[in-house]
Amino acid sequence: MNPLSDPQLQQTFTGVFRLVVPEIALLGTACAAVLLGCFRNGRGLWFAVSLLGVAGAAVLAATVDQPAPPLPTAASIVPDAAAGFVRWLALAAAAALLFLSWPEVDDRTAAEYYGCLLVATAGVSLVGRANDLVTLFLALELISIPTYVLLYLPARTRVNQEAAAKYFLLSVMSSAVLLFGFSYLYGMTGSTNLTAVTAALARANAEALSPLALVGAVLVVAAVGFRITAVPFHFYAPDVYQGGPAGVVANLAVLPKVAGFAALARVLGLFGPDARSLPFDTATQLPLLLWILAVLTMTLGNVLALLQDDVRRMLAYSGVAHGGYMLMGVVVASALPDVRGAGPTVGGVEALFVYLAAYALMTLGAFAVVLYLSTPDRPVEAIDDLGGVGQTHPVAAGAMAMSLFSLIGLPLTAGFAGKLLLFVGAFTAPADTAAMRNLYRVLVVVAAVNAAVGAYYYLRVVGVMYLRSPLRPLDGSRSRPTLAAAVVLAAGTLVLGVYPQPLVTAARQAAPASGPPAGATAEAKSP
Amino acid sequence: MDRFFDAVASPLTGRALILALVALPFLAALALPLLGRAARRVALVVALLHLGLTAAVVFFASIQISARAELAGAVRDQAALRFQPGYVPGDTAGRHGEDNRTGWTLMSLAPPSPGGKAGPAVQFFLGVDGLNLWLAALASVMLLPAILVSWDAVTDRPGAFYGWLFLLQGAAVGAFLSFDVILFYAFFELTLIPAFFLIGRWGTGSARRDAARKFFLYTLAGSLLTLVGVIGVVLTNPDPVTGRVTFSLPDLMGNVSFYLDQAHQEALAGRGEKLAALQQTQGFLFLALMAGFLVKVPVWPFHTWLPAAYSEAPIGVTILLSALLAKLGTFGIIRFVLPLTPDAAVMYGLPVVGLLAAFGIVYGALCAYDQKDMRLTVAYSSVSHLGFLVLGIFAFNAEGLSGATLHMVNHGLSTGAMFALLGFLLDRYRTTQAGRFGGLMGRFPNYAVFFFLVALAGIGLPGLNNFVSEMLMLAGLFAARDGGAPGYGLAVVAAVGIFLSAWYVLTMLRRVFFNPLREPEPADAAVRPADVTRREFFAFGIPAGLCVVLGLFPQPVLDTIKPDVTVLTKVGEAARARVAGVPVPAEPESPPPPKAPAPKPKDKKETPKKVNPKKDAPKKDGKNPKGGEEDEG
Repeated sequence: MNPLSDPQLQQTFTGVFRLVVPEIALLGTACAAVLLGCFRNGRGLWFAVSLLGVAGAAVLAATVDQPAPPLPTAASIVPDAAAGFVRWLALAAAAALLFLSWPEVDDRTAAEYYGCLLVATAGVSLVGRANDLVTLFLALELISIPTYVLLYLPARTRVNQEAAAKYFLLSVMSSAVLLFGFSYLYGMTGSTNLTAVTAALARANAEALSPLALVGAVLVVAAVGFRITAVPFHFYAPDVYQGGPAGVVANLAVLPKVAGFAALARVLGLFGPDARSLPFDTATQLPLLLWILAVLTMTLGNVLALLQDDVRRMLAYSGVAHGGYMLMGVVVASALPDVRGAGPTVGGVEALFVYLAAYALMTLGAFAVVLYLSTPDRPVEAIDDLGGVGQTHPVAAGAMAMSLFSLIGLPLTAGFAGKLLLFVGAFTAPADTAAMRNLYRVLVVVAAVNAAVGAYYYLRVVGVMYLRSPLRPLDGSRSRPTLAAAVVLAAGTLVLGVYPQPLVTAARQAAPASGPPAGATAEAKSP
Repeated sequence: MDRFFDAVASPLTGRALILALVALPFLAALALPLLGRAARRVALVVALLHLGLTAAVVFFASIQISARAELAGAVRDQAALRFQPGYVPGDTAGRHGEDNRTGWTLMSLAPPSPGGKAGPAVQFFLGVDGLNLWLAALASVMLLPAILVSWDAVTDRPGAFYGWLFLLQGAAVGAFLSFDVILFYAFFELTLIPAFFLIGRWGTGSARRDAARKFFLYTLAGSLLTLVGVIGVVLTNPDPVTGRVTFSLPDLMGNVSFYLDQAHQEALAGRGEKLAALQQTQGFLFLALMAGFLVKVPVWPFHTWLPAAYSEAPIGVTILLSALLAKLGTFGIIRFVLPLTPDAAVMYGLPVVGLLAAFGIVYGALCAYDQKDMRLTVAYSSVSHLGFLVLGIFAFNAEGLSGATLHMVNHGLSTGAMFALLGFLLDRYRTTQAGRFGGLMGRFPNYAVFFFLVALAGIGLPGLNNFVSEMLMLAGLFAARDGGAPGYGLAVVAAVGIFLSAWYVLTMLRRVFFNPLREPEPADAAVRPADVTRREFFAFGIPAGLCVVLGLFPQPVLDTIKPDVTVLTKVGEAARARVAGVPVPAEPESPPPPKAPAPKPKDKKETPKKVNPKKDAPKKDGKNPKGGEEDEG
């Protein structure tokens, strides 16, 4: 029979659209905004429309039934639980970003601004469910390209333009590297479908490790490293964060990071149905590479953040450091060939998800306050600009303090729950070799020391806000939506810190089963 | 009457009280910032209310614990080597039963297993036992002087000040009452936030911001390593039967001693690798766990945050810092380090930490002598005394541990009272420079009485509280089963420390209270400073009175402490046997209950006996003070 007339295959192809209905809604809203914005532009109008678009996407995401494609090896989209988590995270982040960017959107470019934001959101959501190298690449570009526009939209000063150009050039380069890596994967396996690639590589690994596969993996990690600001690829972050408009920077700090981790997990096979069959070497090479990346990222990020006097540069480096913490989750997940007994098992992906959500909450919260306190004539730049905010803007300062305490990782904040899970996960990582196992414990100690280092610069901001008296009090933009976003995000940080169970449960259900599953056992045990 | 008592003392009441004990300060912390000037009155009322709740808890719990102690005489198997928290809110045994574990889950790390048993989870696990009962009471009592001393001193946003003060107290009470390791850690770190704002915002010195930041960062850096250690302990000691990890401290204790016991049996049978491996792991975990506690206590050389924090903080906060927060460190050692890494505590406790602590005793004392500012004198004396306390803990025997537990309360009372008394001078003269005062005895006779009383309690005058606990700790250090020499050496240093403390305190008293009258300009030039007011009378009188009471009647407290100290002592004996490579001595536990009290009972009693020969006839087991040393072999 002609394979093309296989009904399952046809069903797989035609069923794809059903799986991306919310993304289509987002893109449709964005198109409407960009097209109709030519006729009538205005902040209030397009804000409302975009919010409706996000809400509609959320409704669709909750209601449209998503059957798994019958032939995963042909499907370019898979609606697995991890994809669902990424989608909800993206939608929530988009809603928060809509609110907090309010003061910096101007009436002439509002439609474009919101349209780009929605496109990027759709991109993140698609990255989470892409099951094909081409789809994945396109989804990632769907995030990058609107971001260039967003960075250029208000680019009036040289610093703005430098930031935009820097981001553009490096982003294009990372895309190129990514494609290069994908070409290796395609060349070796003859397929662009991730399920097929993973299966082929896992089969090959059972006999001998392929050095070419490793080259492909390294290139992918390098390219994604740009998006998650892993250390050798982080150079653009401080400059772009400092130069870009704050709302866009908040977007940059969260959306690409979520997408980057989702993409990394997809390509490395960590979202696969069986956490044990991984396409790459799970004993030392790849985990070791990621281990080194994680340690470098968190250490360098924290140390360099110590030296910053500019709030946004500080937040940029803090974002780098947190990328390092989250890489711990990937390290753990990428070395999970076997789970002993019914033991502890906080899976790496699970911890990563919790931390991503916590990170999104606290970083967006911090940026919301920065945005709220900035005015065009008097932007919040130096940390000292925040002096005495605790007295002049108690609510905003409270939200900021909550976000910062969460970034430090103090208990009763979402950041602590995330760190705890990451630490527990790394401690239980059942690695194959004794050498790697000790490295995991070292990783936890390194992360703990880093968290202590990080506390220094976050606490400095808290100290400036509360313990200094205001010399030149900030006016604040009086942007109610931004303040509302800041308060809601801070409250979320607190609530999920005090009672993290809902988030943990959601993440656990989203992560592939890490406990002993029904079928897989002996054969998948060692690579 | 009995029926009424039973109803009131039912576990349900106890649980409600425990919850209220933790919840009340948090609620107060939320509400107080909304009030303006009235905040201090409300704060005082709430503090008194809290004290009432505490009194009720102490009353019921001490009866319950003593009853359990008698029962515990009968049950003495390995399974009993765990803490037994009473009045656990959310007890899984239902409304009236007690099985000493809770069903209130905060965060479960894994889905319930197919069998329907809950997965590993962080729980909201509070309870009382002999070790934390009196510390929780201390936390309740010491808030009163803290509020009273701040009464007029704090004028800037008093609502927020008292709110943070209650948050600090609530976090401390929560940490004391926690039996879940992560919950403890959460409360432990939660103390940092209020302390940071209290020191940085309301501090009196010019360096207050640096002091606040230093305090926060030092403690956080240490306690993050403690978190790593806690996670390590949890994950390396899953339940031997189900393989589930647990965050509940009593269960963890059981698991730890199970694995060690098993390895010990193997080692005795000639296969020692497992025990060696376990002990090596313990070594690392011990270091990680101790990191946070060493900073918090603080033990030299991790004390450098202390002088700044104690002298820059508003005096009311200093009272809480010295009376409560420092105790969190020593309490953490007793509660976590000893039971969870017993072998390492035996191997490295006295030889390594003890050495640091001993150095700190002398160093702190010399620094205290050299200070011009009386606040710093008291701050450094705290370093010195707490070093002694750490020595007492790591003696890891009945005398040392009961002494140390008691000394936490005693030191909290006397040091807290001392800082409160310095608040008197701050209120009137805005300075505590010893050189600027002289002859205050005639000027403020009532003040002098309080000051002498508290100062003498601090240096351990017989009849006052510190004497009892210091003697017990010394006895612990001298106990022969520790292997002699290091214990003796450290005991000598500790004794020298007591002498030194007498030296610097008496020197300070001579300068400030005798000599011709000298006083700096009063804070308010219009008013001539008066002697102790009624408000101050209570601020000083409450802790000072308790110093006397505990000095004269320590036995009720020691009785409550005893069951849990016995548990720890057994853990310690087993650990010592493992380290020495000999079987766990069987006799120390079996003789007392079945046989007549003849051979064994000396270790606990010898000291209380000689400690307070005059007062306590009621001491039950005070016979046979001799011969604590030889029976171990």
